[in-house]
Amino acid sequence: MATPLLGQFLVQVNGFVQARNETGLADWIALEPPFNEQYGAMIREIQNAYPRGSEDALEKRCSSALKAAVEGDDGSPWTAFIKFMAQYLAYLRDVSADVNRYLDTYALLSELQQRANSALSHSTLGHLMLPVVVANAKLVCRLAIGLDKQPELIAHLKRSGGGGGGGGGDEGGARETLPERAANILRQAFVTCLNDRVSSLSAAGKPEGKKRGIYIIANLCLKILFQCRKTRNATQIFENIYNLSPPLLAYPKRERVTYLYYLGRFLFQNSHFYRAQLVLQAAYDESPARPECMRQRRRILVYLIASNMILGRFPSQDLLSRPEAQGLAAKFVPICLAIQRGDLAGFKRHLDIDHGEHAEWFLHFRILMQLRNRCEVLVWRSLVRRVFVLAGQKAQDSGGMTRAATLDIDYLVAAFRKLEDAAAAADDYVDTDFEGVEYGDTGEELHVDQAAVVSKLASLIDQGLLSGFISYKLMKFAVTGTRAKGGDALAAGFPRVWAVLRGRAERNEGSGGEVPGWKKKDGEVGGQKAGPGMVFNFSSMRPVGVVG
Amino acid sequence: MSGAAQPNAPTSKLQPSSDSSDSTKQPPATKPAAAQLDEDDEFEDFPVEDWSKEEEVGAQQQQQQGGNNTHLWEESWDDDDTSDDFSVQLKAELKKMEGGKKG
Repeated sequence: MATPLLGQFLVQVNGFVQARNETGLADWIALEPPFNEQYGAMIREIQNAYPRGSEDALEKRCSSALKAAVEGDDGSPWTAFIKFMAQYLAYLRDVSADVNRYLDTYALLSELQQRANSALSHSTLGHLMLPVVVANAKLVCRLAIGLDKQPELIAHLKRSGGGGGGGGGDEGGARETLPERAANILRQAFVTCLNDRVSSLSAAGKPEGKKRGIYIIANLCLKILFQCRKTRNATQIFENIYNLSPPLLAYPKRERVTYLYYLGRFLFQNSHFYRAQLVLQAAYDESPARPECMRQRRRILVYLIASNMILGRFPSQDLLSRPEAQGLAAKFVPICLAIQRGDLAGFKRHLDIDHGEHAEWFLHFRILMQLRNRCEVLVWRSLVRRVFVLAGQKAQDSGGMTRAATLDIDYLVAAFRKLEDAAAAADDYVDTDFEGVEYGDTGEELHVDQAAVVSKLASLIDQGLLSGFISYKLMKFAVTGTRAKGGDALAAGFPRVWAVLRGRAERNEGSGGEVPGWKKKDGEVGGQKAGPGMVFNFSSMRPVGVVG
Repeated sequence: MSGAAQPNAPTSKLQPSSDSSDSTKQPPATKPAAAQLDEDDEFEDFPVEDWSKEEEVGAQQQQQQGGNNTHLWEESWDDDDTSDDFSVQLKAELKKMEGGKKG
């Protein structure tokens, strides 16, 4: 049966391949339903002439029409493109215009993606597919996320053993979820772009050919992984980029900022707070100040502030009064105040999972646990400092010798006990077994409290947040370095948190400013020339920042 | 390279279909309540293709301060003032402890 529209369409497509016209090809490969009437008419032709089951015939039709692809380039035919086109026509034939048929559309698109990825991998012609691969990937991404938000739509898949097609086998352990699978399919395209030997940077320093696709596709994978909370799989993406990608600076701003946002969040999640802060600051600084981009700035800012607070740096009034910081003061400032004062009770109250006013908000951004666990140590440090101010004994000079400034540990025990009790009292729950029990004040209890406080002190000293030592004989904390600070015991014993933590991070991480995943200079990894076999192993990084 | 394909006007009969835009939502016209701002978990695509150096947040900061970076972060926040409620209560507790010890 005659299919004139299809015939014309294939002639056009062939022309684009012949002329190496990437843009033309992208314009004509429409992917998202509903389609306009011209496509509609062609689709009806396909439905009549090539109904389901006649895919072989469809492929033969493509082969005979797409001579430029059959010929390929330099003796290398582009068979994968013909297969892609056959799949594409079948896709047009089968895809529903009903936007509610999410799962069906997703299944068809992800199969199409795999064919597109294969076509992409042709060494000299593959780059013509890049815009199509990216457009397809955006749809796959959007649908995968949409489906993840509506698990009832895919519940039946879990029972029947997962959705269609090949690609990315699971490790025999946990089954791959739909979003993970989607990200893995897109990752194939990402890897193809990354490994491309043919293209590099132009004279103007811009990426060419398939290399243009590296960050845009990586960002789509990362979007899925973060949205669906499977960020472990992101490690490989960051490693690959760090090892093989051209410098990030060569890429468009919107790709850079988006990528750095994800890298920053990934570092945050893995407790590399100093690096997270470096990356997120760069993303924030480079983001546009335009009003329509406020949401993006806000997202970056939330993690930027959280990272900094964990390192002992607070957001300024200036920062908190920016449009993107709407409402953030109410959430973050109470924590800053608690850290400043050493108010352990207030700190715990504000970040209590059940009772904290903003707990849900912190949980939504997935920063609650890190803030609770990491900032508590800073609260201890400030509490010790405050007790020292209130009840410490000054350094004494006598006969050429300086006796260190000290603090009786009993004061700390009293302080910690009071505040921990206050924090517990805020939680009204009393186990019925213990209701009405009078504990009194046994010597044993005191002993336990003291050990806990000594342990906290030791930890703070170990982390460099306190400068001094514990005299177990006298049960005192003694400040060291007072003389070097011109007699200022407070400054000596309680160095500024940010200075301490930043210093540690920079020492631990060595080679200035290198952040795994953030490709700065071409051909170099971690200050050394990258060569074959040199791989940066992301997972071998030690966690930096506050310990314990 | 452009993300979404921009349809040209081809001369033959078949017109390319118009692709829908990248982002799934349009930013609201009025200033959104903070709660609405944070609803979504996604980092939405930037609604603009590119922007100049002058439009960057970092560059604007520098401009505003005539070359000095706007003060974004407080690094030195230790407070020695002990007249606030918290310190007063703490001090009372410490005195109590002293009393208990001597007794």
